[in-house]
Amino acid sequence: MEISLTPEIIFNWNGFGITNTFLMTLVISFLIITVSFFFSRRIKSTPRGFQNVLETILEALLNLTDSITENKRQSRQFFPLVATIFIFVLLCNWVEIVPGLGTIGVYRVHHGEETLTPFIRSSSADLNVTLALALIAVSAAQFFGVSTLGIRKYAGKFLISPFRKPYVVGTFVGLLEIVSEFSKIISFSFRLFGNIFAGEVLLTVMLILVPYFIPLPFLFLEIFVGLIQALVFAMLTLSFLKKATEAH
Amino acid sequence: MDLLNNLGINGKLLLAQIINFFVLFYVLKRFAFSPILKVLEERRKKIERGLADAEAAEKKLQEIEKKEKKILLKARKEADQIIRKSEAQAIKNGEIIITESRKQAEKIIIDAKKELAEEKRKMLSDVKQEVADLILLATEKAIGEKINENKDKEIIKKVVNNL
Repeated sequence: MEISLTPEIIFNWNGFGITNTFLMTLVISFLIITVSFFFSRRIKSTPRGFQNVLETILEALLNLTDSITENKRQSRQFFPLVATIFIFVLLCNWVEIVPGLGTIGVYRVHHGEETLTPFIRSSSADLNVTLALALIAVSAAQFFGVSTLGIRKYAGKFLISPFRKPYVVGTFVGLLEIVSEFSKIISFSFRLFGNIFAGEVLLTVMLILVPYFIPLPFLFLEIFVGLIQALVFAMLTLSFLKKATEAH
Repeated sequence: MDLLNNLGINGKLLLAQIINFFVLFYVLKRFAFSPILKVLEERRKKIERGLADAEAAEKKLQEIEKKEKKILLKARKEADQIIRKSEAQAIKNGEIIITESRKQAEKIIIDAKKELAEEKRKMLSDVKQEVADLILLATEKAIGEKINENKDKEIIKKVVNNL
């Protein structure tokens, strides 16, 4: 057994190393796109079956968004991004409870040793994915900030003249704000990556140590952790968006 | 760069993930969120409208009930009045009829009495005439000759009348 911090490359395609996490991302995207296409064709004003489930989830998310933005128009603006992040991260996280995690794969000779390259690996256990999401979330915050406040006012949050009221203190606070924007990227990406990677390692190790019944509670725990992390990611994004659009 | 490599961060993969996310974002927004939000909004509006309608209907119903009660009360009052009026009228009418009939009866009795008296008087005079004639005839027969008719008659009449 080898635990790798980085996702394993399954095969090369035109010099582009397809990793198992990228494969999972593609599978998840395909799933989401298919369901959306299929679903959009049969939306009815009187919901039935699957539409009820989706509506309940989306309405709960929308209400949550409303409760944070306290502004119907703004929550409409933020909702698609936040909901997409939530759904995508949730599905990425839940890949780790799919049977065959870390066990189905191909054996490759790696550093002179024959090791297993698994096909299934949670996309969130890849820093590329979490970093991409973090970059998108933070950039979206800048975008919405500039588009609602205007570039001058938004820049005024970070670049404060040292000759105005709180003098040098204000300038220093502005600098800290800039640093915090970058630290958000790191905290976003490493929080999700750390949680899900740890969960994967835990599940793999439990499975190898005691294959029957004992991993079950951990599986339930990971379902819960996956949901919580997705919610945390989405809600933090939302609160950053909200904060970016507020004037000081 | 070495650190990034060790963490498995790869520019190409990162870009691919970002693009993938945007594709997902677009698809979900276009095919899931917008229609669902629209449906939800429509349903919310419909429910609100329905509730408002129900409230209005309830209000109207109450108003109608109030009106109905008022009208019923008024009708009952009027009916009472009419009955009372007609009762009074009937009593009055009855009294009038009774007094009139009594009057009429009295009149009839008086008339009858008058007539009776007249008849009696007439009969009496008739009887007297007859008696006078009879006496005259009898006296004539008894005496056997005719006396002065006119004088006799007068005398007899006087006698008969004095009887």
